[in-house]
Amino acid sequence: MAILSLQNVSKEYASDGQSVRALEGVTLDVNEGEFAALVGRSGCGKSTLLHLAGAMDFPTSGSVLIEGKPTSDLDDAQQTRLRRDKVGFVFQSFQLLHTLTVQENVELPLLLAGKAGARELALERLHGVELDGLGARYPHQLSGGQMQRVAIARALAHSPRILLADEPTGNLDTTTGGIILELLLRLTREQKTATIMATHSLEAASVCDTLVKLRDGRVEEVTRR
Amino acid sequence: MPRWKLFYRLMLRPLFQEPVRLGLMVLAVGLGVAVVLAIELAGNAAAGSFHSSMESLAGDNDLEVVASGGVPEAVLATLAAQPFSMRISPRIEDFAVDTRTRETLPLIGLDLIAEGSRYAPPADSDAANTKRKETMEESVRDLENPESVWVSAGMGKKPGNDISLLINDRVLDCVVRGVIPASSGNENAILMDIAGAQRALNRFGRVDRILIKLPANSNLEKWQRQLSGVVPPGVEVRRQGAGTEENRKMLAAFRWNLRLLSYIALVVGAFLIYNTISVSVVRRRSEIGIVRALGADRGEVLAAFLGEAACLGLAGALVGLPLGRVMADGAVKLMAATVESLYVSSRPGEIALAPDSLALALLIGVGVAVVSAISPAREAMHVSPVDAMAQGRREFLARSHRGRDLAIAGALGGLAAVAARMPAVAGKPFFGYFAAVLLIAAAAYAMPALVNFISSIAAGVLGKLFGVEAMLASRSLAASLRRTSVLVGALATAVAMMVSVGIMVGSFRQTVVSWMNNQLPADLYLRPAGSPAADRHPTLSVDLVEKIAALPGVAGVDRLRAYEISYDGMPVTLAAVDLRVPRANRNTEFFSGRPANEVLEELRGKNNVIVSEPFTYKHKVKTGDAIILWLGEFRESFRIVDVYSDYASERGYILMDREVLLKYLPDETPTNLAVFVAPNADAAEVRKEIQEVSAGHRILIFSNRELRTEAVRIFDRTFAITYALEGVAVMVAVMGIAGALIALVIDRRRELGLLRFLGASSQQIRKMILVEAGLLGLLANLAGFVLGYFLSLILVFVINKQSFGWTIRFHWPVAVLLAALSVVYAATVVSGWYPARVAVRLNPLEVIHEE
Repeated sequence: MAILSLQNVSKEYASDGQSVRALEGVTLDVNEGEFAALVGRSGCGKSTLLHLAGAMDFPTSGSVLIEGKPTSDLDDAQQTRLRRDKVGFVFQSFQLLHTLTVQENVELPLLLAGKAGARELALERLHGVELDGLGARYPHQLSGGQMQRVAIARALAHSPRILLADEPTGNLDTTTGGIILELLLRLTREQKTATIMATHSLEAASVCDTLVKLRDGRVEEVTRR
Repeated sequence: MPRWKLFYRLMLRPLFQEPVRLGLMVLAVGLGVAVVLAIELAGNAAAGSFHSSMESLAGDNDLEVVASGGVPEAVLATLAAQPFSMRISPRIEDFAVDTRTRETLPLIGLDLIAEGSRYAPPADSDAANTKRKETMEESVRDLENPESVWVSAGMGKKPGNDISLLINDRVLDCVVRGVIPASSGNENAILMDIAGAQRALNRFGRVDRILIKLPANSNLEKWQRQLSGVVPPGVEVRRQGAGTEENRKMLAAFRWNLRLLSYIALVVGAFLIYNTISVSVVRRRSEIGIVRALGADRGEVLAAFLGEAACLGLAGALVGLPLGRVMADGAVKLMAATVESLYVSSRPGEIALAPDSLALALLIGVGVAVVSAISPAREAMHVSPVDAMAQGRREFLARSHRGRDLAIAGALGGLAAVAARMPAVAGKPFFGYFAAVLLIAAAAYAMPALVNFISSIAAGVLGKLFGVEAMLASRSLAASLRRTSVLVGALATAVAMMVSVGIMVGSFRQTVVSWMNNQLPADLYLRPAGSPAADRHPTLSVDLVEKIAALPGVAGVDRLRAYEISYDGMPVTLAAVDLRVPRANRNTEFFSGRPANEVLEELRGKNNVIVSEPFTYKHKVKTGDAIILWLGEFRESFRIVDVYSDYASERGYILMDREVLLKYLPDETPTNLAVFVAPNADAAEVRKEIQEVSAGHRILIFSNRELRTEAVRIFDRTFAITYALEGVAVMVAVMGIAGALIALVIDRRRELGLLRFLGASSQQIRKMILVEAGLLGLLANLAGFVLGYFLSLILVFVINKQSFGWTIRFHWPVAVLLAALSVVYAATVVSGWYPARVAVRLNPLEVIHEE
């Protein structure tokens, strides 16, 4: 069974009184240990799909199922619990808290969820992204690549079932971007997460197991390797 | 015009995007302006009343002849015999209580035959003229009868109406013979013919004042010299209104201190404006870079931010104007009660919102806002366009110079310590105020180091105690150190003033209570009925006193007589005590440390006096000095044999033997009576007997305990206005915190959105903001308490001493302080409620992708 399943999902927004359709009839399954890439131009619906997949937003029609359970049935507290337990996010601009150290940033989702052993788990995740020894530093003392590794470690801190990455290499140079992609792929395999990465770089998407091309909110093509 | 358009688009329009925050800021500044305005208006109204009380009915005269205890009537004859063309108007001046309304009214006795026409209704028609003639004839018929009175139009009486007046300790049933037109000032008053007034007051052979009208264009000084030469030595010829001036002088310290206290809310407002403009500069850093790159020069950037502050100040002033007018109504009531208890009989005049009030509001609103904004505006001016566009604002936020600021704080604190040791200048504690300002400035400079230190400690501790939200909250405060420091500084200033005034008032109260324990040895105290005032000394009938003294349960009666006199251009209370009464229980503490009996023995039958501490301070005299007193027609020298503590009145007391005073002012009626109950008698029983013998007299009897309770009640009423002012300052600060927290939430919206992505619940976001508010409150309470303690030392030992001359023993009013600090803390936490709501309602999807 797919960990994440989108079934005929459509999403409409109201913008300045006008209805804007961001996604239309999207159907997609992502399995355990699968690394899927969403590609397409800006505004094609990549980020909207990620938000729906992470239960940060809800479809106007159709269903988003996480481990078989529709997200639309969840109330605010259940959504929060779902995010705490099953979803991890990685952003283009890293989104680290500059008031916290690297280790504290990684601990954050565990602490918000009230989980024990946050420190040990955070150190383990930092080891996983090859940042041992940098836990006491603050984000501004790191390079861009290191910051994105921290963001990945944080996203995986609570061992989520789904990892959602929105343009994770968009702010990095090609070499560093390549390293980050390899890291994401490795961690997807190791932690058996269902990973979806939004990108408009076909080069970045080439490392993924599945390539989903989006155009004007519709799935144009799905290529599984 | 294009510049104005730009100013509106770039500076003003963004303000309206956060209407709640803008509203809070404007209201906070408005409250600060309103308080200052209210105190100014109320002060003017209260001060104006000195004129209206007695002077409004005095008419337009040039000189007045006065003497302590009254001017002998013979002086009238002497003046009348002078070969000068001048109008002489003798007056009796006292107070009466309308028994129905319980209103205390000036009672004025004047020569109605000579002067009555001045108070008749205006003649504006033939019919009125005819009516006037009839009224005058009717009035004159009963002139010399003490039961004939003329009343102010404001009292709503008509000729022929009855009115019962309490005069000294007796009620006189009077008939209204005429109504004084309203043009004679806004004060209600009772007029009698001078002969009737003398009879009603039992005051024969003397008048209180003689007013003199000189020919037009006279040289006042020359006339004053000439007339002084013909009156007896103890009688003074001075310009009319000199008494009013004396009162104004006496009240100057009171008004000055109140005025300064009212500026606290404005200082707190200044902190908030500083914070608002600082936030504005931080938020618009990249905009500054862009407009600089597009051709704006530094001066324009500076003007833009100062203009933004000026607009906030202007809006605050416009809000503060009506608010101040409303607050003035409350303030004037509180002030009037204090003035009457401590200084002089008065009734507040009209509160007038004149053009100068408008100018004051605009000046302080805009002025304070612009001055507070200078520093952040200058910072904006120096922003380099390249840096501004290239770097994030975090670096800018992090710019603070803790080490340097701490050194400046130390230097300012040292300067404050030096200033606190400087003497008063022209009777005003300017250096004391300066020391207080320096301390506040020192605290403001020390704030970043304190906030950084405490919040870094708190992060770990709070995280363990209250979870990750508390840890995030303390980290967030430490991260925006500059903003947090200003906010804490604003609230800490308000808290400090609350703590310092609380300690000062608490110490004063405790000192007064201890003092009363020693000062009030008698079992019962009597005085004529009517509301008390520092300058009103109604008398008790001699026959009543004799009857009380003769009661079997009475061991002794101490007759105290008080007069209002002028010494060295200031009003002073001259009092005489009965030294024949055994004073075994008297524990008055003298500055020499000598036993009371030994000191009092030196007064007996001699021209020796003891004086109160405020008197020595005001008039720069000490034990052993000689003072010249003008008593009736005498001018005598008295030696100060000792000084005693006194907290009953700020105006100062001179105390002498009753027998000595009677030599100069032979009026046997006492103003107060202290009754010592015989050892084997029951005080309650004696009180009943006194009530029985005083039938027909209106007197008030207080037990020792009741008198103390009454004194403490008056004391608490006196300081009610200071508590009100502190309350407003704290309110301003709390509103500022709420506004600033909204700004903080808006500025950190991406972070808050991210937390939702990372699994934070709405409750966690709310808790985080509330913990931030709580932390701000905690830091401000802590800093405010420490600063307040040091300010209280300045208030108690420097400002109070130099303003009023009282020595106050330091006392911690623990319960009051704990209650006040708890209320402030709770208010700060509550102020986080709305910002927390804003934070919870943020859409994480929108804010996370914002640039």
